[in-house]
Amino acid sequence: MSKKTINIPIGSQHIALLEPVRFKFECENEKIITVDSDVGFVHRGIERACTTKFKFDGIGYVVARVCGLCAITHSLSYTVAIEKLLGTEISVKAKYLRILLLELDRIHSHMLCLSHTCESAGFEAMFMRIMGDRELVMEIQELLTGNRIQFDYISIGGVNRDLSSEIAQKIRQNLYEVKQRALGYREEFTNNWSLSLKFKGIGALSLDDAYRFNAIGPLARASGLHVDVRNEINYLPFSEVGFVMQTHKAGDINARNLIRLDEIQNSIKMCENIVNGLPEGDIFTKPKGKPNGEALVRFEAPRGELMYYVKGNATAMLERVRIKTPTFSSIPAFSHIFVGEDYADVPAILASFDPCLSCTAK
Amino acid sequence: MRKIEVTLENVREEIQSFYEYNKWHFLTINGVALADNILEVQWIFSKYEAMDEVIIFFAHAKYADLIPSVADIIPSAIISQRELVDMFGVVVEGSEKGLYLDEDSLQAPLSGCRI
Amino acid sequence: MYEKYRKKSPWILHYNAGSCNGCDIEILAALAPKYDLERFGVINTGNPKQSDIFLITGPVTLRSRERIVELYTQIPEPKVVVAVGSCSCTGGVFRDMYNVEDGVDRYIPVDVYIPGCAVSPELIIDGVVKGLDILEQKTKEMEKPFKLFQEATTKDGITSRRETPLRVGEDNEKN
Repeated sequence: MSKKTINIPIGSQHIALLEPVRFKFECENEKIITVDSDVGFVHRGIERACTTKFKFDGIGYVVARVCGLCAITHSLSYTVAIEKLLGTEISVKAKYLRILLLELDRIHSHMLCLSHTCESAGFEAMFMRIMGDRELVMEIQELLTGNRIQFDYISIGGVNRDLSSEIAQKIRQNLYEVKQRALGYREEFTNNWSLSLKFKGIGALSLDDAYRFNAIGPLARASGLHVDVRNEINYLPFSEVGFVMQTHKAGDINARNLIRLDEIQNSIKMCENIVNGLPEGDIFTKPKGKPNGEALVRFEAPRGELMYYVKGNATAMLERVRIKTPTFSSIPAFSHIFVGEDYADVPAILASFDPCLSCTAK
Repeated sequence: MRKIEVTLENVREEIQSFYEYNKWHFLTINGVALADNILEVQWIFSKYEAMDEVIIFFAHAKYADLIPSVADIIPSAIISQRELVDMFGVVVEGSEKGLYLDEDSLQAPLSGCRI
Repeated sequence: MYEKYRKKSPWILHYNAGSCNGCDIEILAALAPKYDLERFGVINTGNPKQSDIFLITGPVTLRSRERIVELYTQIPEPKVVVAVGSCSCTGGVFRDMYNVEDGVDRYIPVDVYIPGCAVSPELIIDGVVKGLDILEQKTKEMEKPFKLFQEATTKDGITSRRETPLRVGEDNEKN
């Protein structure tokens, strides 16, 4: 057997990619041997701008633009870090509303990922179906916050809009609909022959490797690793509203899809609990002072753990804002999974990671 | 959040003796530019399934210093090290430049941003 | 109106030049059932050589400069460039950040600007439909027979075959 290998690049512009990333695969016949990735296409320089261009009270809206999909998690993490430094206590109602939006964001992000995985497996009809149902969630977000994607809902000291009873009714109605539809997807993802052929047993990550490569988010939970930041933080009352960690054992693409479906169900339950049991109170407390000292805040974004490290020096300008995004720390695990797989499966595996390159490169 | 001070010489031994791959989750390597051209390098870990338990190892370094690599202990540290090289213009063992920055972009953007 | 769009079903090429993903997923949403851009015959392709409309999101980052120009030159004439989102129009919130060129029009000519952060799918549809008009106009212009040179005319004492005689050392912007 000859040892000749060929290099096949994918990206930076490719139909299977939503974002510019370039992978260079070295293949022997069909099998991938080594992977080289270039993730810096969307590097903009937000970390520097946070310390030189913007004052601390405006950065929450800047860091939301790191990523459009998990914008809410970014602004929430930053805001919580600043609130820690300022010592601001926010009201219980604001906390619940923050979780509500966080979970709505997770639902629509997971749905997007699921539809994208279907598209990369060649199941265009399912892609359209899930994208169509995703609009139900987008409708709620637009009603609640006023914008579909970049909703700048969270500000230091609370949230910007209250939840009226008409909106609550609409949320209940739409979430019920989404819940029924999502149950239908589960059937499709477990039993559909063409999806199983593309997904089952492909792109698997073992539990041991998940530990070694510090996998996070749905990627790790699909391998059976019990890691979910919602379980490890106490800034927001996740367990009160019915958060249950979802794990799976197989670790392949199918398991990742099922994890996302389970999380959608869990998030819908959390949202319903919040809407039904929302306490009375103010949604905003005025913050005082300037941030001083350092704070480290972690949150569970739809793709995994998001970390903010903020250092202030009692002036309006911060000293350091470090953003550690989920996809960034998953890249070693991604590269590991690719090795030994067929080149033809690359789009499906890549879509199942749900990579967010705008997060990665900041 | 607990902070442990180490030096550049002994950070590898400290992390090697501390890090158990199925107990501690490696978050990232962070750099903070301090005054007088000192860089604080932080290795951040969190514990699996514990409530908010974060440990930061930090060491003070000059920009010319060689920062030791921990990639053989923690395989996923390699990408954080490449970011550190790009953002602060330091030299980390076995990590090359060019993760984010091009030839003609601003080099080491975060090192000189102190006001 | 139906007649007009039946003539051509333009395909779009989408490239993310450093945006936050917000506009990109709105483009996807615009193609999906609720907004259904595909009713105009528009389909998203990954191949520049088959595309007519080029949707760009994001301020242009340094590493994606070459890719944009490359993709632009690969699209066959006539082509329409649509800048989607505030940051591809002007730089938006990323303006003056060190790794960002403020806006797409520094590199390639833009026909339609769609503002908004993030743009709503309705606006994307409006923009693409506007792009269709421009595409048709451009097609007509390309098909129009034209002479390479005009008749020689003498104007202000200068003999030229151009429509506006070439003047040396005078400010052209006055005309």
